[in-house]
Amino acid sequence: MTVKWLMHFQPNQGTTLTSQVMAEACAVAESFPGVSRDGRWRSSMTFYRAVPRDQSLPAPSDLPRDLIGISLHDLPNEYLFVMRSQRLILRAHSSVQTVMDKLQSYKGRFFINFEGLQYKWGDFKLRIGKCLYNPNEALRGIVMEVEYLPLSSIDKSQRVMEEFYEIWREAVASKLLAGQFINTEVNFVEYGLGDSYTPQHTAVLYGMCVVQVIASSNKNQ
Amino acid sequence: MECVVQGIIETLHVEALEILLVGLCGAPKQRIRVHELCLKSGPNLVSSEVRLLCDLAKTTPSWTIRHVGGAMRGAGADQLSVLVRPIAESKASSTALRFFYGIGYKLDHEVLKTGFAFQFQNRGANLTVSVTSTNRMPRLHATDDAVPITPGIHLVEITAPAAPENYTEVASAIASFCEYLSPLLHLSKPGISTGIVPTAASAAASLMSSGGGIKIL
Repeated sequence: MTVKWLMHFQPNQGTTLTSQVMAEACAVAESFPGVSRDGRWRSSMTFYRAVPRDQSLPAPSDLPRDLIGISLHDLPNEYLFVMRSQRLILRAHSSVQTVMDKLQSYKGRFFINFEGLQYKWGDFKLRIGKCLYNPNEALRGIVMEVEYLPLSSIDKSQRVMEEFYEIWREAVASKLLAGQFINTEVNFVEYGLGDSYTPQHTAVLYGMCVVQVIASSNKNQ
Repeated sequence: MECVVQGIIETLHVEALEILLVGLCGAPKQRIRVHELCLKSGPNLVSSEVRLLCDLAKTTPSWTIRHVGGAMRGAGADQLSVLVRPIAESKASSTALRFFYGIGYKLDHEVLKTGFAFQFQNRGANLTVSVTSTNRMPRLHATDDAVPITPGIHLVEITAPAAPENYTEVASAIASFCEYLSPLLHLSKPGISTGIVPTAASAAASLMSSGGGIKIL
């Protein structure tokens, strides 16, 4: 699997995030020479909560409160779980969701979809998307996933990704968007992940990014 | 959903059973070496049970998460000679055990199942016939030191995937296949023991001397 970075849009202080930002970000991507639109993309995330044996009581504190499940757009037959507090990832076939349903010990409490437009630009794939609460589709954030197709090594791709990031930041600033895109920084080693990029890396990125998106959204409301 | 029957056979007749199954199947056996961990939810969580299966037969161990539901009940189910039950399974990464510990499950018991299996097609159903010894471990996860729980006895199981619209046909396919094995063992619903078949010794001797000259299914 080739390397990805994941960024989220941080609105300027005092401004509110709107769908207009999504349109403006797409316009920035479409202004790059040689870029082509490459369809749509959609990933989804479920936030799980433990179901206590005695449901009249709150969930015990020794059970994780940060269990999330992720279905990635480019791996429709797989499902990943991330527990940030324990730096733990489980990668499984998508049928694991059926197993979790049967166990009934954890239930999805709320859901977020990431969906938007995909672009091809030379050796890069750019995916700009809205972060939407499900089912009321309230906009919580804008994210951009950047994939560098030639490389699977995180170390080897660091420089070219940084260069892209600078190009993107300058382009966004020049179009006067009311904010900036912030890259999601993760210490993959803490999760037992190596230099060779995998879906587990993507799952961790989304797990970290969504925390920042929600925090930013709550701050600006 | 799956249909399942089980039976037991003395270990000294397993070789004869293998000869019979080779003759019926016409394909080589698959080795079984599965570390099965049964986990139960902790006291704070809704009560549930899940099994983790680590396949040690291959060079790189692979993990499966498996949930076994309760047996189908009712008049229709009672009339079947096989047990029908819902099954949910998923291949998973090697972090499966840590994951379930992390979400509040505890290890209830673990066993190592060793043996072999054959795959058959009978009346449109995909049957798996497995012949295994169930072994316990003297220390946590010590699969290399496992010893048989019932020395001298092997478990034979026939399973077949099924769906709500075809489980009766799958059950018939299993029941008819059991007839081929009847000289050596009787198979029935799990939990209903039929013991060792009286003709097993003579049938085994016949198979061993004939080298399995059985018409292929």
